[in-house]
Amino acid sequence: MARSEQTFFEDEALDRAFGVVMALATEVQVLRDRLGALEARLAAAGLVEAGELAAAPGDEERAAGEADRRAFAAALLEPLLGRQSSKSVG
Amino acid sequence: MDERSFVAAQDFLLEAKKYWTTEIYGALKADYRHKAAKAAPGEPAEVRAMLGETVLYRYYAWLERHLQRFKYSGRYGLAPYHRERREALLAGLADPGGRLALDPDLDVPKYYSAVDIHQHPGGVSGEDIAGFVYERGSRSTTPMLGARHRDLHQRFTDILAAEGAPSRILDMGCGFGKSTRPFYDSFPEARIEAIDLSAPCLALAASIAAEDQARNVRYRQMDALATDYDDAGFDLVTSTMLIHEMPPEEIERSFAEAHRLLAPGGRMAHLDFLPASEPFARFIHYGHGRRNNEPFMRPLAEMDLEGVLAGLGFRDIEIQPFAEADGVDTVDSAAWRFPWAVVSARKA
Ligand SMILES: C[S@@+](CC[C@H](N)C(=O)[O-])C[C@H]1O[C@@H](n2cnc3c(N)ncnc32)[C@H](O)[C@@H]1O
Repeated sequence: MARSEQTFFEDEALDRAFGVVMALATEVQVLRDRLGALEARLAAAGLVEAGELAAAPGDEERAAGEADRRAFAAALLEPLLGRQSSKSVG
Repeated sequence: MDERSFVAAQDFLLEAKKYWTTEIYGALKADYRHKAAKAAPGEPAEVRAMLGETVLYRYYAWLERHLQRFKYSGRYGLAPYHRERREALLAGLADPGGRLALDPDLDVPKYYSAVDIHQHPGGVSGEDIAGFVYERGSRSTTPMLGARHRDLHQRFTDILAAEGAPSRILDMGCGFGKSTRPFYDSFPEARIEAIDLSAPCLALAASIAAEDQARNVRYRQMDALATDYDDAGFDLVTSTMLIHEMPPEEIERSFAEAHRLLAPGGRMAHLDFLPASEPFARFIHYGHGRRNNEPFMRPLAEMDLEGVLAGLGFRDIEIQPFAEADGVDTVDSAAWRFPWAVVSARKA
């Protein structure tokens, strides 16, 4: 049996959930770092201009990303509705 | 895990730790000041009653515990990173020449194997790569010092050098030699013996010394509580961050051993952590020990060191705060810091 981790909150669920948040935050930083490196290499190779990716996207580009944005927002926030996705008893 | 991801993740965790060190600790201290203005606590337990249940303190404590946990054990932790590179790391160790003597039959004290110190899985001797894990981890132990963390050992060495160059030095609990290196660098004429229980740490220490081409140091696997050196053979017995890892009874035994090893007039000096008597500092430090798997921080802080040392026959007993870098406030630091102190005494 693994030993129980120390707890700091009244509801241990918060201790554990915050651990998930920190793991994800770390992963986000890893991705940001990778993306930054990629952009720098692309700029160095002349494939994008420096600052090009930081500029506001045009209407066409925004429209192209819309479906993906909508799906991400829905997937992220859907659990807040507290609805069953499959039938259970009790 | 690739190198870049590991570095990005560890950098992120360190950045989060710095935020904790300055902003979250700062807010906690401000909250304490505010509350203590009405009724100043005299004991750490009263500080706990005042702050322990607040949301801020809970996050403060959670982060202290878990940032360290992520550092060692998460997906990008030091332990999995080094395990994946095990063979290359071990193959990269330099030939120590005569600088290393291991003792595979050594019995380690019970307190040592009971906890995974610093939340390092298996502790600093649990596996053959443990020295590498510890070395990498130590670079961010003092978050605000950054790469200057090595300087603090030199500062300690310089304090001791101010009273003349010792010629026979023992560094107890030398780890991977971070504390030993300034001694063999600063005192090229001296003979330096460095001992530790951990074979993986000693192997790394000896490899570093070989790369440094140091001719005056030897790393030996030995218990600081019972060494095999002759009586009165050293004029300086030192340690850095060793005594807080031992229970009081073992601390006393290590002092007695140091006393036996010192020539008359020889000096013993330990660089370690001792909080001020102020209750907030103690509350913070005791919590740190608990959360960092260092259960003997608190008993050390509560020991009567002067009494123990005097009882063993030491004189010139001094316990002084130690500034790990220029400009730190050892009395009332705005950011969290280790309560560094030097415990020093002479054999009569
Ligand atoms: C926090 S580390 C410090 C290492 C080193 N002095 C430095 O400053 O980097 C403490 C070391 O003490 C060692 N240690 C603990 N108990 C010991 C004992 N009874 N005898 C020898 N070494 C011991 C541990 O193995 C560990 O390497």
